[in-house]
Amino acid sequence: MSTLVFIDRADAELSAQALTFARGLGDELHAALMGEAAASAPDDLAAYGVSVAHIAEGVDPYAPAAWAQAIVELVERTAPAAVVGPGTDRGNEVLAHVAARIDQPMAANCVSLTPGDPATLTRVRWGGSLLEEARLHGAPMLVTVAPHAVTAETVAPGSAPATVSASPFTPALSDADLVVQVSERAGALAAGVSLTDAEVVVSGGRGVGSAAGFEVIEELAGLLGGAVGCSRAVTSAGWRPHTDQVGQTGTKISPEIYIACGISGATQHMAGCKGAKKLLAINPDGEASIFASADYAVIGDLHEIVPAISAEIRKARSG
Amino acid sequence: MNVLVCVKRVPLTGGKIVLTEDERAISTRHLGFTISPHEECGAEEAIRLVEAYGGTSTVLTLGPPEAEEQLRDMMAIGVDRAIHLVSDGGEWDPQATAAAIAAAIRAQPASPDLILFGNESADAGNYQVAIRVAHALGLPCVTGVKGLSVEGGAVRCEQEVPGGRDLYEVPMPAVVTVKEGLNLPRYPSVPGRLRAKRKPVEALSPERPDPLLEMVRLVLPPGSGKRAEVLGRGPEAAPAVVGVLRELGLV
Amino acid sequence: MRLLVRLVRAGAPVERTGDVPRRARNEVSIVLGQRKLLQRVSPGLMHAFIFWGFLVLAPTILIALIGVVDKRATLPWLGHQGWYAFLVDLFSVLVLVGVVAALWVRKVHRPRRFEGSHLGEADLILAMIAMIALTLLLWHATRIALGLNEWPRGASPVADALSRLFARHGATRVLERVFVWAHVLTILTFLAYLPRSKHLHIATAAVNVWFGRTGAPGRLEPLRFDDENVPEEEIRFGAGTAADLTWKQVLDTFSCTECGRCQDACPAFATGKALSPKLLMMGLRDQVLAGDSDPPTPLVPGAVSEEVVWDCVTCGACVEACPVSIEHIDHIVDLRRHLVMVESSFPAEAEPMLRDVERASNPWGKAQSERADWAADLGVRVLEPGDQAPEYLYWVGCASSFDERARRTAESTAKLLQAAGVDFAILGPRESCTGDPARRMGNEYVFQAFAEANVATLDAAGVTKIVANCPHCFNTLANEYPDFGGRYEVVHHSELLSSLVRDGRLSPRRSDGLSITYHDSCYLARHNDVLGQPRELVSAVGEPVEMKRSGKSTFCCGAGGAHMWMEERAKPINLERVREAAETGADTLAVACPFCTVMLDDGVQSGDADLRVVDVAVLLAEAVEAERPADPVS
Repeated sequence: MSTLVFIDRADAELSAQALTFARGLGDELHAALMGEAAASAPDDLAAYGVSVAHIAEGVDPYAPAAWAQAIVELVERTAPAAVVGPGTDRGNEVLAHVAARIDQPMAANCVSLTPGDPATLTRVRWGGSLLEEARLHGAPMLVTVAPHAVTAETVAPGSAPATVSASPFTPALSDADLVVQVSERAGALAAGVSLTDAEVVVSGGRGVGSAAGFEVIEELAGLLGGAVGCSRAVTSAGWRPHTDQVGQTGTKISPEIYIACGISGATQHMAGCKGAKKLLAINPDGEASIFASADYAVIGDLHEIVPAISAEIRKARSG
Repeated sequence: MNVLVCVKRVPLTGGKIVLTEDERAISTRHLGFTISPHEECGAEEAIRLVEAYGGTSTVLTLGPPEAEEQLRDMMAIGVDRAIHLVSDGGEWDPQATAAAIAAAIRAQPASPDLILFGNESADAGNYQVAIRVAHALGLPCVTGVKGLSVEGGAVRCEQEVPGGRDLYEVPMPAVVTVKEGLNLPRYPSVPGRLRAKRKPVEALSPERPDPLLEMVRLVLPPGSGKRAEVLGRGPEAAPAVVGVLRELGLV
Repeated sequence: MRLLVRLVRAGAPVERTGDVPRRARNEVSIVLGQRKLLQRVSPGLMHAFIFWGFLVLAPTILIALIGVVDKRATLPWLGHQGWYAFLVDLFSVLVLVGVVAALWVRKVHRPRRFEGSHLGEADLILAMIAMIALTLLLWHATRIALGLNEWPRGASPVADALSRLFARHGATRVLERVFVWAHVLTILTFLAYLPRSKHLHIATAAVNVWFGRTGAPGRLEPLRFDDENVPEEEIRFGAGTAADLTWKQVLDTFSCTECGRCQDACPAFATGKALSPKLLMMGLRDQVLAGDSDPPTPLVPGAVSEEVVWDCVTCGACVEACPVSIEHIDHIVDLRRHLVMVESSFPAEAEPMLRDVERASNPWGKAQSERADWAADLGVRVLEPGDQAPEYLYWVGCASSFDERARRTAESTAKLLQAAGVDFAILGPRESCTGDPARRMGNEYVFQAFAEANVATLDAAGVTKIVANCPHCFNTLANEYPDFGGRYEVVHHSELLSSLVRDGRLSPRRSDGLSITYHDSCYLARHNDVLGQPRELVSAVGEPVEMKRSGKSTFCCGAGGAHMWMEERAKPINLERVREAAETGADTLAVACPFCTVMLDDGVQSGDADLRVVDVAVLLAEAVEAERPADPVS
């Protein structure tokens, strides 16, 4: 039996992770791609073990119900053992529509899946602070893959399918399938990444020493596509505006990683960053209270360490 | 216009999560309860829409008897009425939850023009109840909305996507799931709280079917509750830091 | 005057009638004794001379009125007494000295506290007072010159001396009439002008002092939400319009003399904030006098700006300084109550605190299950339901439970109590916020829910004595929980620890070279009169040195009145206090409050002061540790 993977072309990395996750769930790996522009994509998919790429036409721009209908047609036609999507907004949305349409259970943000009757799986709850072991009583198995639960890996060169057979089709859509469709793409509301939404926040505290000292913090945040934050001491000193403050009386953040530089870890500050999935603290004082809440610690002067990290990132990207 | 908003009572987890003996729930002995920030924005939006266009706002929850507290919290900030689908406190899977909610909405004398959900629940994070409810009711559904306005019989939604915003215009009635940031939820006034105490709550007791996504147990992720891992001292720690960033898919 | 009585009587009810002996004592010390005014010696004496002069000279009004009608008549008996003539003579001069001093203060010295006061009016009043005293002296002098004095000659030396200026002829006879008429007319003018001026305080101050608080200054008057007989529209949610002010608050506004002593003492004013307690009173008075309008003008921002309401740290320096027992904090809190509870309008950054107190039972949203983590390795008994009650329940408070810096106070206190063999336990996760930050923010409703729940927990545990290391918890438990049925013997940790040192149950080693300056917490010193015990601890471990402002005149750290959870505008208060501490040359800044610890330590770290900020319990624990003989095992 085959496994069908929904490819969210807006996020190649997470889609590749979904392909890696799905490999081994069935004999063949099929990919579902949406839109005419996808026609050029299939060749890259061979490396991830995809043998057939189904390309739905006439579904642009994004219309979740229509995309789900395309997958439902593929499910009816190819009877896959599993339909897997990436844990992106669209991955979860499209799979949920599929699940509703075929009235089957669906598990979002899985970190592992073992086929069986029922299938058993482990999925993420509470934004990652808890895992759930569950049984999935349904066919096909409908799952999305939690971001970064697996590392995207290509198959061994010898075992990759020689070619990907592209299989374009035009799903039969009703008017209702196109009621919800992107009507317009607008620019971002504000330049830069907002503290609330940022996946990475790099913050400086009193240890930064001055307004000018934030240059190294800004550089690292920029390299990681993140936002710059600061502690209350910094806004009190007038080095940064209050809008940059992370803390109970500032912004409450929930990034994938929070990098706190020269921040001692006052209660009022920690109340603002407890939503961070990971906390990396850089502080010269090994006894600083922030280390009690940190996942990773680097002990030393942020003015030496932060530029070294930025340099290392540049090296990794260029190499 | 009539707006219905669905919310879910969840414990307020501030620190180390502790599980119950049977590992099927979080130990809530010393925890307070709340609803997710997404849902708070949903309730606030429902109140604002009714303030602007008239009609009735309704809050609905599926949860244990104690979830009445969250319904009253929402009425305290201005939601007009409340429907409580009283559960035994056990875990309802998303299909069962959606079916119960859809049935309750169908049974309402005045059908809502707009049904709001949080983008995902704070605890289970199944990302599907709203979509299943929309499907059951034959309504369109827009998810992850951070900007919402009503024009004529349509609702205009903005969704944040990498690099910009996607706009949708959908005729009502419709289902919309919202995200934190849509608005700033108001702080409840005391006259509002006192009034909310006296308002009736419509209670229903749906049957729980066997779950098809069946939770077996909860597990604390490996590494939680440990002391910080020291990556090094001084600039020599940089490669180790980049290693961590790489694991998170940032480099 | 009738208008004023009507306005006061229209005020919302507040209980201020009991405890008559205490009220009488206040009347004697604050009004007759001028105790509050004499907190500042020279302006205090100036006022006391004039005030005492008025008391002594009051009968001379009658004497003069009789003299106007019949120049040969006087008050029976008193008019003939030599001692009384002497007193009149003396106090007429003292009043004149007082007036000159007052003019010097106002015209030459010009202290900042008069900024915004009605100064022209004060000049007119001073001129009239001078005129009254001067015409009295001159009238007496002319009577002596004419031989009309009913009192023994020589009893009034000043009038005697002045009488030499007047010959015994016709002109003096005319002048005698002129002076008595001038005297009487000035008095009548003065009396007619009085109700229209700030000198109304002559009439209202004594009344306001009588009705002043007699209980703990730190206690706030509770509101009642749970009386089912009161319809919702009649429930009082603080003060939204002038009609919501209590009669005492209305009386406060009419008692204000615009002297500015409150403004001078106010830490918010001193650091450039919008708040001046004096201008607050004047603004409210104007609004009360403006009368009804439809719809009624909201007090905020009509009479008082929003900044003013939120600038207050509820330190009580203004209340302590006020010579006429105005209770500024009650006004501020009632304004906040309306803004928070009815308008849901307050500084946005404080919202997480309000929500976290309510949902998570502590102001930082920390997990209650981690409340006793600090005690995990110390062997401190955590009281479970059904356990035997300890002698002392140690109420740790949120800051000392969760804040890394403040936790050291809890650890030291627990170790000291163990070392002294005190039977104590903590509530652990069952301890909640007392509700104090919510109450000081104005959310009386949330506060009361916590007060009731905590009283239920404490009562169920059989608690009779409580020791608290946080002055805010201490004040709430001791002074405010009795309103909710919770009656316990509450002590601050500095009180219990100092008694343990006194009894020899703790033996600290005193470091002679260690210079320590002690910062009084407002809620300890000013609101609860705990001054000596923390100082005993300081003296037991090092050499104390006092700051310029200490004891009841202490200067806030900046965290009071829920300011721990608000952003500060203008100059930070903590920096000002740290600067003052550094001026003493001490190496250690001792505190007895977890919020003072955090604020002042922040202040030290943002400046260049070289001070160690440390709680008295931590200092004591270190000194006890130093004294203990080395453990032979380790």
